[in-house]
Amino acid sequence: MSQALTKVEFTNLDKVLYAKVGIKKTQVIEYYIRIAPKMLHLLAGRPLSLTRYPDGVDKQGFYEKDIPRGTPSWVETFKRYSETAQRDINYVVCNDLDTLLWLANLAALEMHMTLSTTDSFMKPNLVLVDLDPKPPLGYDDVVEVALLLKERLETPGLRPYVKTSGKKGLHIVIPIVPVYTFQQTREFVHQLGKRLAMESDIVAADFSRSRKAGKVFIDYLQNSHGRTMVCPYSLRATPSATVSMPLEWKQITKGFNPEEFNIATVPAIDSDPWKDLLQNSQKLE
Amino acid sequence: MAKDEKGRAPRRPIWTGSIAIGLVNVPVKLHAMVFDKGIHFRFLHKDDGQPLRYEKVCTKDNKVVPWESVVKGYETTKDRFVVFEKAELDAAKPESNQTIRLQRFVDYLSIDPIYLDRPYLLAPNKSDDAYSLLSTTLKKLGKAGIGRVTMRDKEYPVLIYPYKNALVLTTLRYPHEIADPSQLEELKDIKEPSSEELALAKKIVSDLSGEFDITDYRDTYQEKLTALIEKKLKGEPIVAEKPVQAEAKELMVALQETLKQLKKK
Repeated sequence: MSQALTKVEFTNLDKVLYAKVGIKKTQVIEYYIRIAPKMLHLLAGRPLSLTRYPDGVDKQGFYEKDIPRGTPSWVETFKRYSETAQRDINYVVCNDLDTLLWLANLAALEMHMTLSTTDSFMKPNLVLVDLDPKPPLGYDDVVEVALLLKERLETPGLRPYVKTSGKKGLHIVIPIVPVYTFQQTREFVHQLGKRLAMESDIVAADFSRSRKAGKVFIDYLQNSHGRTMVCPYSLRATPSATVSMPLEWKQITKGFNPEEFNIATVPAIDSDPWKDLLQNSQKLE
Repeated sequence: MAKDEKGRAPRRPIWTGSIAIGLVNVPVKLHAMVFDKGIHFRFLHKDDGQPLRYEKVCTKDNKVVPWESVVKGYETTKDRFVVFEKAELDAAKPESNQTIRLQRFVDYLSIDPIYLDRPYLLAPNKSDDAYSLLSTTLKKLGKAGIGRVTMRDKEYPVLIYPYKNALVLTTLRYPHEIADPSQLEELKDIKEPSSEELALAKKIVSDLSGEFDITDYRDTYQEKLTALIEKKLKGEPIVAEKPVQAEAKELMVALQETLKQLKKK
């Protein structure tokens, strides 16, 4: 293989990363290769936070914002002063296939992205409504709240998109023109949650009630500077290697199992429901 | 005095610990001090210029032996071995220590250079005052401290002495690592020279006496090789190709497909 297809030199391909389902690093890299055409444009220009599992998801992973030592010079980065770390952090920005594969080779199984892009970092172009159920509530309850939310958003003419979180919840995302501050988008989601909480017993719109059993918390706090959302099509560090999967609204029905969307099943799925996400920037009026 | 030739900057520390003299502790970092600057060659296949690698081959059936089937054996007499597992050897290794206790101070010039093995540079580790005190004292007295250190699974006697405002640690050889000249047959019946011969020889030597200057000496073989390499570089050097691992080949197939799709966009 003399003509190099990628700048990345793959290492430890035999390392088992998902022991329960026997998934090795080579399959993780292959997953990201296959999903890249649908995934890359959604990541473009967004600083990433990574959760790396070099010894597999059964062992402690680690959270990484700053680029690791030995980052190749061709990887694009975004420098930003971090209040919490009290120093400059160089975030990875994944604008091309090589960077995605480099991350996969680092066993950065989970990739999380900011809701804004580097060219208007303080004005987000995505609004995230994060639905998180507290036991004994489960997926059916999240679905119920999601469908209620969809109706509320569509009435004034907005077009929301939906994906599984890859864990217990659903993410509803509204692409917007980057003219609002995080405070405005946060307030938008908070108000939305408050209105819904009046209509539904299982909705919690405030953090203080979010930990109560039997509630679905509409988490508006994610719409903040420095916060991130798990990337669409990112793997999760779950035993069955689930994926945060963009879906059509018609797929959001009671009885569906988000674990169906995992490393083995997702590459074979043809549909691409978030294809036009970034061409549909909307106003929040 | 020899002229100073600019040496290279030391790299990262390879050991940290402290020097202990009585109740006083001087925290230090140890840096490599001598470097092999020789030119190294790799073996290539003459036909296609690709690098060769070594394989472990069983001397009985000439078959390649995988790493997991390799153990270590100590040859007691010809072709007779005692076999060790890695765990057995690990258990016998000394523990690295963090302190070099200086038990004795000696005149630096009284040490036969034959015992000096490898020098390392000691740097203060937030201990500038104590470090300066130790190096200055040793310099004024012309003394060197002797102690013991365990590094990288080996225990060494060491000598610590001042060198250009710094302290140097030199590992020492054990007596059993040094040949005894009296064992050499040719040296057993050496005759004393006559006094006339000796007087003449002493005159020749004193006529040629001077200061020691290491910069009088150059590595001429190395210089010639460097020139040769430069010359060849202007021609066409053979570029080594990296073989793709078997598993990576499947990835390359998927990659080709994805690259095609991305191009269409």
